[in-house]
Amino acid sequence: MEKKKLYWKICCYAAVFLCIITYTPLIIPQGVSKPMLGGIPYSLWTSFIITVLLVVITFIGTRVHPGMQNEEDDI
Amino acid sequence: MIFWVWVFGLIYAGLLVFASLKSYKKGRSSEEFMMAGGNIGLSLGVLTFAAALFSTFTFLGMPDFFRINGIGAWIFLAVSDGAMVFVLLWFGYEIRKKVRGMEFRGVSGLISRCYENKLAGYTFFLSAFLFLIPYVGIQIQGIAIFMDAAFPESLPAWGWSLGIVLIMLTYSEIGGLKAIIFSDAIQGVLLLAVIWIIGWACLDHFGGIGQMFEKVGSVKEELLSTPGPKGLLTPQFLLASLIAILMIPVTQPQFTTRIVVMKSMKTMKLMAVSLGAFAILVIIPTVFIGMYGADLYGEYSSQEFFAMAFLNDQHEAVAALAIIGLIAAGLSTTNAMIFAMGSELRGLLTGAENVIMKRTKIGIFIFSTIAFIFSIIVFDQLVLLARVSFAGTGIMGPMILLGILSDRKISPVMIYLSLGGLAIFLMSLGGIIPNMYFGIRLDLLLFIVLGISAVGSYLSSEKRIVTDTKVN
Repeated sequence: MEKKKLYWKICCYAAVFLCIITYTPLIIPQGVSKPMLGGIPYSLWTSFIITVLLVVITFIGTRVHPGMQNEEDDI
Repeated sequence: MIFWVWVFGLIYAGLLVFASLKSYKKGRSSEEFMMAGGNIGLSLGVLTFAAALFSTFTFLGMPDFFRINGIGAWIFLAVSDGAMVFVLLWFGYEIRKKVRGMEFRGVSGLISRCYENKLAGYTFFLSAFLFLIPYVGIQIQGIAIFMDAAFPESLPAWGWSLGIVLIMLTYSEIGGLKAIIFSDAIQGVLLLAVIWIIGWACLDHFGGIGQMFEKVGSVKEELLSTPGPKGLLTPQFLLASLIAILMIPVTQPQFTTRIVVMKSMKTMKLMAVSLGAFAILVIIPTVFIGMYGADLYGEYSSQEFFAMAFLNDQHEAVAALAIIGLIAAGLSTTNAMIFAMGSELRGLLTGAENVIMKRTKIGIFIFSTIAFIFSIIVFDQLVLLARVSFAGTGIMGPMILLGILSDRKISPVMIYLSLGGLAIFLMSLGGIIPNMYFGIRLDLLLFIVLGISAVGSYLSSEKRIVTDTKVN
């Protein structure tokens, strides 16, 4: 249980971290479209990776959320 | 094209009739009618949440937003949706834990109980009414304009709007929330199929993704970076949009209801992940359509762009499918919103259940009528109005989160602050006060101030000694 709490916290921090860096010049440098990846502009391919990572973190979150396993399923 | 519209239209109408009859049950309880019996499985759950989220706004609005503002639109919606599904997982657990063992009668009713103060429920209801009804209106209008372009001089735009409202009312009256969820599922599948068919055709026009951006860059290079040609997608605008979208599961009652009516915690959490994947799948083709529009129809109006990209440039069968897909998208989303408003009203009413249900149905009729009037008189950009709707209801986020998460007796200060925030936001929309202060957008400033106030209110409140007292 303690481990799950820790993993869940890591997921939360990772999600917040990804959200914060998205709005910095690291991901959205104003007026810059390079370096491109396979012809895709910089901000688009980096933010696409961030979107996928957020969904992956959500998936991990479903496995490690400390409350869900012990909760009665039906409301 | 008319032949194909009839073919797909009849199939869609047949599916709707089947769904409403399957959902109709004589002598059903109000709980079954309003909350679908609280027994929605994974596939239906994903599709209904996705259909309520990805509506005309995604189908028409996002390609147009990419066309005008460039690739930063991905961050505006897709990154925000990716983060939103994580919030959905966390908040879904908390709200389901909170409502366990009690009858869920909408967020208004729940929040009234949490604060032991009915004003909290009325405040939430007011914000939902003010920001959802115009959004419903503009969705109806979007469909009407599109239908007018597809069948010029057959019916006036208001005639299409009226038809949509009448179908919506009849359908929800027969089948209740369960029928709406079935129609959402049909729409979810249809939306994904149609948007990919059109998106693929648009990508094919360029010959590949690399060539697409090369061509668009040669037309207008600013489309390939933020803040885009119009300078709209600044970090601040995108961050405020993120917060507004993160608050969707918390503050938009049609989504909160769907979280609660999921069959179990397990289906709810799987729904959150699947929704994230669905969001990526739905938004990708809107990039292709938007870039296609930027290449060929950069200087056209939104309506002209829709008519060209979705109808004139497509095979007749695809154009017909786009028309039916759009009707389905608009119908299910507006239905979900209007019905959610009815659920919220029900949560605030007291008295005998049959009287409450009668008043709720009258309420749904009145909300639909107001939305219809809005659809005739209001004109705005779909995406920007959607964003205002998300931000407006998002102002209630700190108050709702505090009410649901707090294990303490909460002071009503947060209700007054939220009401004040709502009034300030409305004044800025009306142009009475500026929308920037100290270089910060007003909506972002309101989110920050109300968020800090909620934390302060929690820390300064006393621990509960007695258990919950019911307000209604």
